[in-house]
Amino acid sequence: MLIYTAHLTMAVYQTEPGLSAVERVAREVGGYLATRSDTEITIRVPRGVFDDAVRRIALAGDVVHKEVTAQDVTDEVVDLEIRLKNARNMRDRLAELLKRAAVKEALEIEKELGRVTEEVERIEGRLKLLSDKVAFSTITVTFAARGPGALRDMPLRLPFPWLSELGLPRLLSLHEGAP
Amino acid sequence: MNTPTICCAALFSLAMAAGCGRPFDVKTAPGFVELEGQAPSYDYRATTPEGVVVSVRAIDNADDRGDVAFWTRAITLQLRDASGYALLDSADVTSKDGTKGKKLTFGHDEDGKPYTYTVTFFMAQKRIFLVEAGGTKAQMDHAHASVAWMEQEVRVKCGSFVAPVLASHTCNRW
Repeated sequence: MLIYTAHLTMAVYQTEPGLSAVERVAREVGGYLATRSDTEITIRVPRGVFDDAVRRIALAGDVVHKEVTAQDVTDEVVDLEIRLKNARNMRDRLAELLKRAAVKEALEIEKELGRVTEEVERIEGRLKLLSDKVAFSTITVTFAARGPGALRDMPLRLPFPWLSELGLPRLLSLHEGAP
Repeated sequence: MNTPTICCAALFSLAMAAGCGRPFDVKTAPGFVELEGQAPSYDYRATTPEGVVVSVRAIDNADDRGDVAFWTRAITLQLRDASGYALLDSADVTSKDGTKGKKLTFGHDEDGKPYTYTVTFFMAQKRIFLVEAGGTKAQMDHAHASVAWMEQEVRVKCGSFVAPVLASHTCNRW
C-alpha cells in the first residue's frame, strides 16, 4: 500500500490564475480542494489519476522544482490490523467478564474495558486515515522562489556579481543622477 | 594648436555630442525618454510614462569567457531557479550589427500583478551586453513594438572606419 505525495514549486507568475487552475484540475479528476492560501494550494486526487493530475498541473505554470514521494505503509497497516484484531478480542472478553463480575471486580474490568475500547478506536482511526491517504494522493503546489538556497545547493557559486543584480526591482527603480 | 591636436579635439567633441563613451549604440523609441546619470548601475536606461523600462549594460568579460549557452544557463538559474521567475520564452536574436545573442523572456508577479521581464544579451568586444526590459504585463504588451525596435537597434560592434583603439571603447555614433 503506497501513499503518493507530490510537492511542486512553481515560478511566481500569475499566481492567482495558477491556483485556480490547480483547483480546477482537482475537480476535473474527481478530487477535492484541501487547503488554499495566497501562494499555496493542496489538493487530494484519487490514486488512479495521480500521475495525470501532476502532469496537468505542470501545464499551469513553470515548474521550478518537483518532488514526488511514495511511502510504503504496508507493514504499518498489517501491524495495525493485527493489533486491532487483538484489541477487539480483548474488548469482547472483558465484556463477557463484566457480565459475570462482582461489584468490586466490575470497577477494575470497566476501567480496563475503557482503555481497550479507546485503543480499538485509535487503531481504527489510524487505519481509516492510512486508507484515505492511500486512496487519495496529496498534491501541494507552492508559488514561491526557492531562494538563494537553490544556488547554494550547487557545488560552486559563479563569481559574477552582475547575475545577482538581474531582476525587476532593480530595473524598475528609477532615478536620475547619483542613485 | 597643431593640426593633429585640433583633429583629435574635434573628434572627441563630436563623440561626446553624439553620446559616445558607451561601447554600444542604442536608439530611444518614441514614447520613451532616456534617463540621465544612470552609471554605474546602467549605461543606458529609458522609460515610458507608464513605467516600461529598457536598459543596456556593458559588462567586462575579459578573454570572452563563456559562450551564449553558458550565459543563457547562468541567467536562467539565477532568475528562474533562485528568484522564482517563470521562463516564458527563449529565442535566438541578432543585434543590428549582426552579433548573435539570446533573448530570455520571464514572467513574475510583483505585488500580486503579473510583470514581464526580458533579458537579451550579446557577446562582443570582450564584453557582455545586457539589454533588459520590464514592466507590468499589460504595459509591456502595449509597448511591445517599441521595446522590440529598441532591442533590434542595439549595436555592439563599432564601425569599421573608426580606429581599432577607439573601436574597443566607443561605438558607431560617429
